[in-house]
Amino acid sequence: MSTVTSIAALLLFPSGLFLLLSGLAYEWADRKLLAQFQNRVGPRWFQPLADVVKLLAKEEVAPDGVNGRLFVALPIIALAGALTAALYVPLFGLAPAFSFPGDLIVTLYLLSMLTLCMGIAGANTLDRFSLVGATRALTQLFSYEAPFLLALLGPALVAESWQISEIAAYANGRYLLLTQPIGFLVAIIGLMGKLELPPFDAPEAETEIVAGALTEYSGRGLALFRLGKGVEMVVGLTLVAAFYLGGVANPFAFLLKTLVLLLVMVVMQALMTRLRIDQTVGMWWRYGALLVLAQWLITILFHAISQVHLMG
Amino acid sequence: MQTDTQRERFTIPIGPQHPALKEPGHFRFSVDGEIVTGATVRLGYAHRGLEKLAEKQNWVQNIYLFERVCGICSHTHATAYCLGVERLAGVIAPPRAQAIRTLVCELERIHSHLLWLGVSAHEAGFDTLFMYSWRDRETVMDLLEALTGNRVNYSVNVLGGVKVDVTEEIAQAIYKGLDFLEERTHHYLQVVSSDASFLQRARGVGVMTRQQAEVMGVVGPTARASGVTRDIRIEAPYAAYADFPPQVIVDERGDLEARFVVRLKELLESYRLVREILARLPEGELTVRMPRRIKSGETVSRVEAPRGELFYFLKSNGTDTPVRVHARTPTICNMTSVVRLAVGHQLADVPLILAGIDPCFSCNDR
Amino acid sequence: MKFGSMLKDISQALVQQPATEQYPSVRRPVPERLRGRLVWNPATCTGCGLCATDCPAKAIELLVLDKKAKRFVMTYHIDRCTFCAQCVQSCRQGCLNMAANHWELAAFDRDDFLLRWQSAPESG
Repeated sequence: MSTVTSIAALLLFPSGLFLLLSGLAYEWADRKLLAQFQNRVGPRWFQPLADVVKLLAKEEVAPDGVNGRLFVALPIIALAGALTAALYVPLFGLAPAFSFPGDLIVTLYLLSMLTLCMGIAGANTLDRFSLVGATRALTQLFSYEAPFLLALLGPALVAESWQISEIAAYANGRYLLLTQPIGFLVAIIGLMGKLELPPFDAPEAETEIVAGALTEYSGRGLALFRLGKGVEMVVGLTLVAAFYLGGVANPFAFLLKTLVLLLVMVVMQALMTRLRIDQTVGMWWRYGALLVLAQWLITILFHAISQVHLMG
Repeated sequence: MQTDTQRERFTIPIGPQHPALKEPGHFRFSVDGEIVTGATVRLGYAHRGLEKLAEKQNWVQNIYLFERVCGICSHTHATAYCLGVERLAGVIAPPRAQAIRTLVCELERIHSHLLWLGVSAHEAGFDTLFMYSWRDRETVMDLLEALTGNRVNYSVNVLGGVKVDVTEEIAQAIYKGLDFLEERTHHYLQVVSSDASFLQRARGVGVMTRQQAEVMGVVGPTARASGVTRDIRIEAPYAAYADFPPQVIVDERGDLEARFVVRLKELLESYRLVREILARLPEGELTVRMPRRIKSGETVSRVEAPRGELFYFLKSNGTDTPVRVHARTPTICNMTSVVRLAVGHQLADVPLILAGIDPCFSCNDR
Repeated sequence: MKFGSMLKDISQALVQQPATEQYPSVRRPVPERLRGRLVWNPATCTGCGLCATDCPAKAIELLVLDKKAKRFVMTYHIDRCTFCAQCVQSCRQGCLNMAANHWELAAFDRDDFLLRWQSAPESG
């Protein structure tokens, strides 16, 4: 790949600008669908973009008592992490821009950067709401991270590769959703936890702690965090769709499958009450982790049996 | 060794401006992690000096002043005031007027309880229930608008009667609206008492025992959800409640779920009551003549607001302006229970416990 | 205990029109009794001033120039009015009314909130 196309892939398409815009588009779809489910009108199509443009144009106020450099750097790191993660994912039905063995693990950890940055951003300020929000964000991160990772490693296990492009190629046309239903469920709920969507929005529960870790953020920082979240949504949806829903080999399949996933997520958002943070943690460790481990066990057993059969 | 004073306490201020509060109030919760260890409340941010202002206005003007104490139970305030003034003057409003007052009281209770359902669902993080209950609340708001001419401050009461009459057309519209609301309320009742994700936030949370409720002097649906049978509509019937007695809804459990159930069952009771009033509306005049100067004397007037007992004290010296009007609203009676119940609960439960008493800071601060 | 007890509502909403009314472009019929702006009919006014006395918001000022010749100036402050209709109730002659069709009263200029009516003198 030449340098020019590499830079274009980084900055414009499929990563970079195009990804930011599609992140906003998915955010709009999420909000609009939720509004439709709640019998409301919902935002117009350009609302998330307008919000971001407005925030970018505004002054960023760094409150007293924060580490100024960290305050400015964290949103940038968060967005950079999410954008980098996108490079290894088959976005929009195209092959990943970059790929190497084991990039699945790297991608998942890059995706966690956003939450981590938000947690640190909250802990960086003196604001009580931010501090509580940061504690909750990090607590939640530690609870869903392991099950979510294990759930995405399920397909890796059967594909016998830890490289996203290879797993995606294996899963193409194979609906692993049918063979690993628990893994799929945990993956999609884990994604909701990652994106802090209701009912896992305890870290930013507005009726308790205003805006959680990001309470003190305004202007550019908030816009970058929001962009990062949009990107993370697209990347997360792509991963789950590519692994569990029979692959995203072409743009049409990508759009269809990610939107179906989004629909499932919105239905869950509409139907459930916000979980307290202790309930979230309890749910993940008591059910999420155990179920996905059971799924693993079954997968490995089947795998071993089929190996034995092959050899026999 | 650390003493309590040395240990830095992590205090979370909620209010006067906070998304959980729809009106200004200030709470300080000291927390240990997520557990609330102490709570204090400070009120008075919405004080408008209405009681003092009442001493400068004539008896008629004051109806509308007290109607604006609260944006949700406006009619209840005006009714309490009018009934008090009528008692001072020795005038009794005609039966049809009393029945219409009662009718609007009950319609107002319906709108207030539906509003509360939405607010509480939102505090719990169940926005779908919030949106749907408020959508359905529009039905009763429209009915009130058709009946009285306004959505919020109905201005139904005048001294010695009411302004508006119920026509056959409006009665039919109310019947129709109530049929829809009744079906929806049964649905919501089923949602709040069976939805697993909702119940884990409401069941067994913020439990107030009957004894606690009696000691703290809690009133209204909050008290009734703890098994205290306390309802002014039955204990001291006013307006037309003697002819149309409601049934007291009580629940022994005392938790947040009980408060949801009690209020929703009260809605069903209100539907029944409204239908009964419409079916047996007494014929006759709407107003009687009222003197402009009220005989000197003092009296109290008690009514059951949607949130609990509302108490008015009125004193006249024989002129056309009152000497003193005092309103004590249900929120102040219930507020102690929030501060008490919050301790030991998770921070996440606090907004729901606060919403559980259906606080109205504007009522409270006057 | 079950999950998703509002599933029926949200699946119905998927094919329903949103309940929100798009107000300026869609207007609902106004209820007959809606209390809008005050309308004064000077023909029957006696100039007793009870409307101004009873107005809780002091939105009405009635200037009596000549009671016998029925020359009054009625000043009505829309911005002060609380639309309680006590004036309508207090007026024994029935010359006040609240118009149901005049309810969109917002204005850019404060002067637009001041309405002044003059009763026509009986003989010019």
